[in-house]
Amino acid sequence: MLDLFHWEPHGACARVMICLEEKGLQYSSRYVDVLAFEQYRPEFLQLNDAGQVPVLVQDGLAYVEASATCEYLEEAFAARPLMPRQPAGRWRVRVWQKYVDDGFAASVTDLAWQAHGARGLQARALEPAALHSAIDRIPVAPRRAAWQAAVAGLDAERLARARQRIAASVEHIEAQLAGSPWLAGPEYSLADIAVFSYFKYLPALFPTVLNGDAAPRSLDWMRRVEARPAVRAALARGRRGDPFTISAPGPEYVRWG
Amino acid sequence: MPLELYFFQPLGTNSGRVFLALLEKGVEFNERELNGREFEHLQPQYLAINPRGQVPALVHDGRALAEGAAICEYIDEAFEGPPLRPADLRERWSMRRWCRYIENDVGRALMMIHWNRIVPGFVGARTPEEFERLVARVPDADRRRAWRRAYLQQTPPEELEESRGRLREASQRIETALSGAPWMAGTSYSLADIDLLSFFAFVSRWSPEIVNKTATPRTMAWIERMEERPAVRALRARTRMPQLPPATSG
Repeated sequence: MLDLFHWEPHGACARVMICLEEKGLQYSSRYVDVLAFEQYRPEFLQLNDAGQVPVLVQDGLAYVEASATCEYLEEAFAARPLMPRQPAGRWRVRVWQKYVDDGFAASVTDLAWQAHGARGLQARALEPAALHSAIDRIPVAPRRAAWQAAVAGLDAERLARARQRIAASVEHIEAQLAGSPWLAGPEYSLADIAVFSYFKYLPALFPTVLNGDAAPRSLDWMRRVEARPAVRAALARGRRGDPFTISAPGPEYVRWG
Repeated sequence: MPLELYFFQPLGTNSGRVFLALLEKGVEFNERELNGREFEHLQPQYLAINPRGQVPALVHDGRALAEGAAICEYIDEAFEGPPLRPADLRERWSMRRWCRYIENDVGRALMMIHWNRIVPGFVGARTPEEFERLVARVPDADRRRAWRRAYLQQTPPEELEESRGRLREASQRIETALSGAPWMAGTSYSLADIDLLSFFAFVSRWSPEIVNKTATPRTMAWIERMEERPAVRALRARTRMPQLPPATSG
């Protein structure tokens, strides 16, 4: 019996949701409204004291962190493998997952917050004063600090660094796809799922870098991932809007998972 | 084709974890020490092996592997020897979660705190212009920024204090984990223990106000158990500690 506590199919939530669909696993969906700060409620913090989605629960045990959770699913459910068999291929998958965790996810999230964050919060129909007081009551200190910084506005230097990193990432992805159809080699894998779950916003967020002239292989790769039935099924579980244009629920920039 | 490990002395953090994983696994390898003070990791010969200029790198069957955590899992998968990952899948998840926490949260807090002490020794008697020429060769923009801030001793005090807070919190989390089980991931010795030794064990010497027999007795007992392991003794025998300038405040 699998339960997944998740928000929209964005970022780390998308990673685990796609992984579950690819492996053909049934799960109970437990929707956590991140914009209503449900991830900071005591009952959720008992599952994950970092106050972050997604959390996978199996047999009463909670699994957090998208990379570790996806690898757990891969090891626990061997059918429909999402990692190569050879150690070198597995090493490549893990390097890509770390690449996403270490900077790519944060950079995309910063740009998405800049572009869509205010709109997401307006959907909560809160007065600024009420919003600030809700943020001040977030019990997880690092997340509280992140929200405070984000509603104050991300500074230009940080946004410039995010754009620089994403431009470098796209070059890196283009170079990889020159030599193989998928990011970790000849087979689709958890590496593609991890990168795609953030990459999917870039054509709308950063069209000067993500367009057919500058990044043809990346865009082709993205369409191939997007066309997979499991990916479609995972993205179709979203409740709010378009999974390709509305992104970050807030400044959960280090990781949501 | 022989196995080669490119690493820095002293054998700690990322170089230490991979070196120790190889020793625990009982794998023969050729040691390729790079001199960090001479910035050998940014010389063309090394950049041909790892274009990102990061250390360590493991060369196996002509393929260069980077990224400490991923190399360690590779070592466990590619070679015969005692397993370095738990057979139990829950413990294995726990191992990976700890490895990431130790590297990211603990490792970065430690770098923030101690980088200011380490960098001047690396730079030595070079002029500011020579230093800038070297740093310009660091491929990663964030790393260049960290080097410059440490060289100029410009790390803001509030960032240092924040890092000390994170280190204190981490030491309590680790103490709690070791209160319920003999090893970090649970009942099995694993890469999480190797990482904790590589990134954290020296905190008892460098930040004794945080890790000591009163505040973190189980962590201290774990360190003693670790130091008795033959592979850890072998690691220590190969480690050369540099002379460091005395700690400044905190």
